[in-house]
Amino acid sequence: MNKVNEWAGITFNSRDPVYAQVVRLFKEKIVTGVIQSGQTIPSRRELAALLKINPNTAQRAYKEMEDQRLIVTEGNSPSRITLELDVLRQIRAELLGTAVEAFVATIRNIDVPLDELLDVIQQKYTEAQAGKRQEPPEAPFESGEGGNNDD
Amino acid sequence: MIELVRVSQKYTYKEVLKDVTFTAEKGQITCLLGLNGAGKSTILKTIMGLTPIHGGSIRIDGEEINQNTYERVSYIPDHLAIPASMKLSDALRFMEDFYSCWNKDRANELMRFFDLDLDERAGRLSKGTAAKFNLVLGLAQDSDYVIMDEPFAGIDLFNRERIAEVFSSELVGNRGVLLTTHEVKEVEYLIDKAVLLRDGVVARSFECEQVRSEESKSVVDVMKEVLLT
Repeated sequence: MNKVNEWAGITFNSRDPVYAQVVRLFKEKIVTGVIQSGQTIPSRRELAALLKINPNTAQRAYKEMEDQRLIVTEGNSPSRITLELDVLRQIRAELLGTAVEAFVATIRNIDVPLDELLDVIQQKYTEAQAGKRQEPPEAPFESGEGGNNDD
Repeated sequence: MIELVRVSQKYTYKEVLKDVTFTAEKGQITCLLGLNGAGKSTILKTIMGLTPIHGGSIRIDGEEINQNTYERVSYIPDHLAIPASMKLSDALRFMEDFYSCWNKDRANELMRFFDLDLDERAGRLSKGTAAKFNLVLGLAQDSDYVIMDEPFAGIDLFNRERIAEVFSSELVGNRGVLLTTHEVKEVEYLIDKAVLLRDGVVARSFECEQVRSEESKSVVDVMKEVLLT
């Protein structure tokens, strides 16, 4: 049941390879703690059905994640998220890096000294953290879509 | 693999299909895209031998189409071809008698998947429900390939989503699927390969993920580019 809702309501960008977006989705879910290291993940076909994507695309995403040692598949048992701390640390650094790069790219044209920028970041970050604590822990995986529940 | 090599068809003096060449592989979903009248449905009919061709050849796993190949390919037309007074349960029994490759267990599973009522009569089904039942009749055959003519046409959002889900499920499994649609957005993430048709000619055929990674284009982008120029 939870498994179904966890993957509902995800939309993809039609101009980037879908398999790469699936890999990124897994990385985000790992870094934000939505899926834990060592946890089993849906089969390729299950994931394709949950995300409404082509099964071969799901297969390719899993292959890519295996190559990046993000997931491990032993024999016939379901694939799991890796327990390797190195890999997990690397993903976190990667996501943080790309997010900051994107941020820098958007503000690059605004003429602002680094000190001032860092102050603004600190202020906004503190506000965001405070706001996060007041809300209930972001209503996990509730989506309005009803048609997804496989019995 | 379903393979069309330089297939042409004429209707009186009009060339309906001109040198149509493409393949649809097993384990993949291939989609024929094009505007109305481009020849999409005609191509499906030629594969089923429902309309003659005047040049070229059509092969299923290397074999020219003949009465034996029809057992390996199931065809889902764009309308439900069941008498209106027939109950769905009777229609299933009829199909079972008719097709040696009928898979009763899968038929039942499909009826549950689409939440269909065995006691309902074919003529009383809404358009969306009729489309689902049509898919049951096609997918319950143990065929290697399934070809579908406009499975999404005129269907509401929720029914379209449910129909789209069947493509990723075990109910389609590792078969080869060839479908036609003009609702590209519905199949953008679902298909492996797109074959764009314009006026009976294959204007372009491509692997969707490859176009996304090499050209940063969506299927809709390529379709606009090819068909609007």
